[in-house]
Amino acid sequence: MQPLGFSTGALALSDFRRALRMLQDQPVSVVELSAIREHELIPLLRSLDDLDLSQFKYVSIHAPSSFSQANELSIFRELYESRDRGWPVIVHPDTLHDFSLWRELGDLLCIENMDKRKPGGRTIRELELLFDEFPDASFCFDIGHARQVDTSMTEAYLMLKRFSSRLRQLHISEVNTLNKHDRLSFVSILDFQEVAHLIPSSTPVIIESVVAEDQIGAEICRVQRALHAPMEQVEAS
Amino acid sequence: MEEPSYPTLDLSRRIGVQWPNIEAARTFSRETLDILKCALADSDSDDTSVVVLGSLGREEFTSGSDIDWNLLVDGIADPNHHALFLDAQKKIKEVATKSVGREGTFDAFVSSHDLIHRIGGEDDTNRNLTRRLLLLLESTPIGRSIAHERVVKNILKRYLLEDLSFWRGTTVHSHHIPHFLLNDKARFWRTMTVDFAYKLRMRSGQGWAIRNIKLRMSRKLLYISGLVACFRCHLIFPEEGRESVFGDEDLRLEVVNVVDAIFSDKPLDIIATFGIEHAHLYGTFSQLFGAYDEFLGILRDEERRKHLETLAEGSGDHDPLYREARAMSHRFRDAILEMLFDDQSELGLLTRLYGVV
Repeated sequence: MQPLGFSTGALALSDFRRALRMLQDQPVSVVELSAIREHELIPLLRSLDDLDLSQFKYVSIHAPSSFSQANELSIFRELYESRDRGWPVIVHPDTLHDFSLWRELGDLLCIENMDKRKPGGRTIRELELLFDEFPDASFCFDIGHARQVDTSMTEAYLMLKRFSSRLRQLHISEVNTLNKHDRLSFVSILDFQEVAHLIPSSTPVIIESVVAEDQIGAEICRVQRALHAPMEQVEAS
Repeated sequence: MEEPSYPTLDLSRRIGVQWPNIEAARTFSRETLDILKCALADSDSDDTSVVVLGSLGREEFTSGSDIDWNLLVDGIADPNHHALFLDAQKKIKEVATKSVGREGTFDAFVSSHDLIHRIGGEDDTNRNLTRRLLLLLESTPIGRSIAHERVVKNILKRYLLEDLSFWRGTTVHSHHIPHFLLNDKARFWRTMTVDFAYKLRMRSGQGWAIRNIKLRMSRKLLYISGLVACFRCHLIFPEEGRESVFGDEDLRLEVVNVVDAIFSDKPLDIIATFGIEHAHLYGTFSQLFGAYDEFLGILRDEERRKHLETLAEGSGDHDPLYREARAMSHRFRDAILEMLFDDQSELGLLTRLYGVV
C-alpha cells in the first residue's frame, strides 16, 4: 500500500503541533513538516527533538517558499544542521540563489516542480536545466502543479519517466485557478489516474489539499482512488 | 550568425537543388515572428497565447501576406482578456500590411473549450472546425507557449484516445492510423474546397484567381501534410516493437507526445522529413518542392500577385500568368500523387487503404 500522509501546513498553517495531533489517529505513515513561511522555520527546527514522530516511517521538511537572498545563507545553515536525520528538504527552485550552497545537501535536496505562476521549474525542459545544476538532487513531483501547467498530463507523464530515478516523494492536491491547494475533484482524480501507474508503490505521498480535520479521511480516500482505482470506479463526489 | 537548419533545407541539400523562394519566405517569417515577439512581449501569459496561423504560421510569409492570428484563452475567465485582445490587435496591425479575411475566423478571441469539446456534431461549426484544424496544422505561438501547447495536446488526446482502432490496429494489416483525426482533416480539406465556391459567390468572383491558386497549392499542402503526418503516426514506430507500444495502455501519453511532435513541424517540413528518408523519391520531391517554390515566387512578386488578385473571373484561360500558375499546380499535384501512391515505401498501401475512401 502506498505510504500516505499530509503536509502539516495543509492541515494547520503555521501550527505543526496541531497538525500532528490531527494525524495521530489517522491511517498515515508519512508526513511533511512544513515551514512554508520563513518565520516558521526556526520554531520548527528547534522543536524537532520534542516531537513524537514515531508513527511516521518517512519525514520530510518543506523549506520556506520565499525568502530574501540576504537570508539564504542562514536558512541553508539551519536546514543543513538537520541533515543527519536523513530527511529530504523540499525546495522551490526559484528560492535558490547560491547554488553551491544547496549542492552540499546532495540528494537530501529535493526539488519540487512548480505551478504556472513561477518563472521556472514548471516543465520538463525547465527541470532538466535545474537538475543539470543540481546533479545529485532528488525530485518532489507535485502532480497538482504538473496538471495545472498541462491538463493533458503529458508533461506529468514525461516528468515521471525522465526523473524516475530521482523521485523521492509526491505532492498531491488539486491546484485551483487561484493557485491554492484544494481537495481533489472528480476531474483531477481522472487526470491523476492517467499517470498513476508511473508512481512506484513505495513512493511517499504527501497530501497538500487544505482540508478540515473531519475531512482528512475522505481526502485520503480520494487520493487512494486517484492513485490506484480504475477510472470507471471513480464516482462524482 | 547561426546557419539555418530545417528539414526542407536539409532535403534540398541532399537532392542538390535550391528553393530560393521557400528559403526567403522562411527567413522573412522568422524575422516577422521576432518583431511580433518583441511587440507582444508584455502580452503573453500561461493562460493565453497569441497564435499566428496562415502563411506566417506555416513560415511561408511574404511581403504581400496578411497576418492571421487569434488570442487563444485556456484558463480562468477574466473580463480583462478583452483588453488584452484589443492591445494585441493594435500591435499586430502595426506590423501587418494587409487586413485579415472577412469570415471572422481570425483576428478573434478564441476559447479552448469549444476547440477541445466540440469535435463533430451540430455545434462543431465551420469556424470551430477551421480554428481547431489550423491550430494543429499551421499554428505558431508568439511568446510563452504553455497555453498553446496545452490546448494542442488536449485536442490530440481527444482524437487519439477516443479512437480505439488507432490503438488496436486495423484488422488485416495492423496499421495504427488515427482515423478520427485523419477523417477530420479530410473533412476540413473538403470544407475549404466548398468554401472556395461559397466565397466566390459571396464576393461576386472578386479575387478568384489568387484564391484558386492558393487552393491548389497552400491549402492542398495543408491537407497532404496532415495526411502524411497521420501515416507517420504509424510509420514512426519501428515494426518490431510497434505492437507492444500501441498495446500498452501505460504508454498512451507517450504516443500522444510523439504525435504532437510530428504535428509541430511546419507542413513543408513534415513532407520533407518523409522525403529525406526516401531517396528513391528525390526526383518526385524535387518536382513537388520546386512547384511550391514557384508558387511562393509568385506571391513574393508584388506585380504578379496583384495581377492574380485582380484578374477578372472567367478570363483565366487566356491569361499567361494564370495558365503558368495552373501548370505549376498540376506539377505539384502530380508529384503529390507519385509520392502518395509510391509502392516502394509503405505510403502507397496506406494511401489506398485510408486516403481514398
